[in-house]
Amino acid sequence: MRTLTLIRKRTLAIFIVFFMLALALAGCRQGGPHAEGSSATASEEEQGGNNAGGTRKLTLIYHFKSGSLDPANDFVALKAGITETLVRLDENLEVHPWLATQWEHRNPLTWVFTIRDGVTFQDGTKLDAAAVKASLERAIAVNKSLGNSLKIVSMEANGQQLTVITKEPNPTLVSEFVNPYTSVVSVAAEKKMGSQAFNRAPVGTGPFQVKKFTPNVEILLERYDGYWDGAAQLDEVVFRFNEDGNVRALALQAKEADIATQIPAETVATVQKDDRLRVESVAGLRVHFLLFNPNREAMKDVKVRQAFDLLMDRESIADDVMLGHATPANGPFNTRLPFASREPVQMQNVEEAKKLLEEAGYTYGPDGRATKDGQPLTLELVTYKARPELPLIAQLLQSDAAKAGIGIRIQMVENIDTFLRENDNWDIATYSNLSAPRGDGGYFLNSALMPGGSLNAANIRSERLSEIISRLNATSDMNKRNEITQEAVAAIREEVSHVYLVYPNVIVGMNKRVTGWKPGAEEYYLVNNRMDVK
Amino acid sequence: MLGIVRTRLLQLIVVLWVLSIVTFSLMKLAPGDPVLTLLRADEMSVTQADEAALREELGFNRPVHVQYLEWLGRVLRLDFGESLIKGKPVLSELLERLPATIELTLGGLAVMLIIAFPLGLLAARYPGRLPDHLGRMFALIGASVPVFWIGLLLIYAFAFKLQWFPTMGRGGLRELILPSVTLGSGLAAVHARLLRSGLLDSLSQEYIRAARARGLSEWRVFFRHALRAALIPALTMFGMTLGSLLAGSVVVETLFSWPGLGSMAVDAIFQRDYPLIQGYLLMTGAFVTAVNLAVDLAYGMLDPRIRLGKGGSG
Repeated sequence: MRTLTLIRKRTLAIFIVFFMLALALAGCRQGGPHAEGSSATASEEEQGGNNAGGTRKLTLIYHFKSGSLDPANDFVALKAGITETLVRLDENLEVHPWLATQWEHRNPLTWVFTIRDGVTFQDGTKLDAAAVKASLERAIAVNKSLGNSLKIVSMEANGQQLTVITKEPNPTLVSEFVNPYTSVVSVAAEKKMGSQAFNRAPVGTGPFQVKKFTPNVEILLERYDGYWDGAAQLDEVVFRFNEDGNVRALALQAKEADIATQIPAETVATVQKDDRLRVESVAGLRVHFLLFNPNREAMKDVKVRQAFDLLMDRESIADDVMLGHATPANGPFNTRLPFASREPVQMQNVEEAKKLLEEAGYTYGPDGRATKDGQPLTLELVTYKARPELPLIAQLLQSDAAKAGIGIRIQMVENIDTFLRENDNWDIATYSNLSAPRGDGGYFLNSALMPGGSLNAANIRSERLSEIISRLNATSDMNKRNEITQEAVAAIREEVSHVYLVYPNVIVGMNKRVTGWKPGAEEYYLVNNRMDVK
Repeated sequence: MLGIVRTRLLQLIVVLWVLSIVTFSLMKLAPGDPVLTLLRADEMSVTQADEAALREELGFNRPVHVQYLEWLGRVLRLDFGESLIKGKPVLSELLERLPATIELTLGGLAVMLIIAFPLGLLAARYPGRLPDHLGRMFALIGASVPVFWIGLLLIYAFAFKLQWFPTMGRGGLRELILPSVTLGSGLAAVHARLLRSGLLDSLSQEYIRAARARGLSEWRVFFRHALRAALIPALTMFGMTLGSLLAGSVVVETLFSWPGLGSMAVDAIFQRDYPLIQGYLLMTGAFVTAVNLAVDLAYGMLDPRIRLGKGGSG
């Protein structure tokens, strides 16, 4: 019996010792090698000041995490300044030469790009047309959707000249090269390193190269001295991931971060109170809007849709729901874009909305409810939580619609895309899309308003719009494309296919010691060679 | 003992098989699939025809049982497939995340034990007095304050104001402390109360009176006799906690940028990354069953009546 107790005691003791040992091992790993790259060094250096030991270092916290740096599958390699594309969007959101200096549209199917001379990859090898060709072939193989949007059938490389043949006319080819998935990387380096290692430290042409990558935690970047546009001012950049807005704002306040992307609107006032910090808020390329179900009787009537256009209080959405960090919308595209609508933003006008409903055959009884054939006008509105402001906008609309005698029942769903595709028992949905991610309107018009488009969940069909968009798809001249896009926007406005509400702002908190950097509406180029710390 | 282990291992296989059928069916019954995410429809121009083609190519249009049997056949050959979204082998994705999860689990448990054990013991040793009141207050706060709020307060106090610890990241002990305290303090509240009530219950038993009558010191009675019996309910709860911690903690992982299994699983569920969800569930299912087995074996160590199949007091 006594022996048994002893054995039990020993087992218990072994268990406790094992537990403590495991804990100690887990905790005290700073000295040992880290299985996936430790961030301890970076954090410790920061605590002592970013410029400790003469290293000019900046820390940026980005609001999405990444488990891979494969440029054909993830935007982070471009955002972190590791890779670059043939063309980029400039401050005015216009397409600008980058790794390609010029291009020529020889015939509807043939484009010739001149690749910038004097550019080297971070492994020192020279960038030429053959390297770009290999990189694009890799990207298309890795990312099928990219192949669909580029429509390339063959490429020919000759020195710095890259000839691209598309299988059908693709007038947006140049702006498609803004897409971070088309980042140019060294395929030769990938062959040497192996795909797995390459996707953790891709070799591009950008001003920074990967020193250490901890998936979903951070990338430690170091300057690439051979950068073609002049070596970066900073020695190192810590590009961290954190998906909690409040923590990003706190890290900025603790001076642990120099730049924090997408801080929550409610933290802006606190951040601004600190004289060492400031907040930049610029209208982004996303648009929040209302989508109508064209199969529902009430929504088929354009006058009812127009009434909703008049019922929306865009100023209140921008100021009250989004705390001033949104811009009222006058169409699908941010007003800074060359093809955006020039019409004024529609102001709320409940009386006019009621008149339109009367013209549509609705009558108002003593209870103030709009009715038709004895049936009160009650609509089903679908919204979702992934963008927290959308349910609030839905509530605002519910209250404003009640002023015009319209009843609205709000339904919250988990996955809006799936719900809209698989159900028909809804009238209105709150929705949100990037409308010009690459500085061209063709993507949104084709995806959201053409029959069969992936974002056209409501299956909107308009002969007039389809004709305009088809014309746009056959036009390559930029000025003409802008004109046709504006024509499409005017048609959307008349047909009220969608009701556009606001362009949410990109809100970035930054330390005033950061120089040579400001956030762009496109949110692509977060790390560059000019940024520095005072 | 070996017999129990063998039986339980067989049970484990059955449990995992049933679990895989249930989760596979639930996943397929839930609306949505990963096609839109895979085509990056919010960034790239794709058509509904592209979606249909990809759905066909991935075999999502086939009957659910055919898809399940194909998956099961691969798993039996220890091939868990590739994550649809990440394109990485499921096993390597899970193994990559496992060390961080174990680290956080151990950290959280250590904090929990450091708080719960003394608090529970003191509360039971001095019932109705100050330690008991403090314990009750702590339990009330710990059980009612949401974890994300505790996390944010800790970051505010110790990372922003005092700057003792970093706000986020994974590296050494300094990075581990705040997430562990966030995770452990909430758990400690429940465990401390459980330990207290277990101890008070066992202190009122006949054998304790007998031990006191034999002239044993109060501390000896308390630690040798009462605590041992009180540990059984606490151990049950501990086992359940350990199992859930090994499955990952979404809130703490998100707050502190901790690359664990919990946030990966939530992402996989939202993206309908079927192979990754299945792999994750199999792994965590195995953990939970293994922990339960360990807890059952530990019962036997604490109470010989359970080991000898004579029924226990716990």
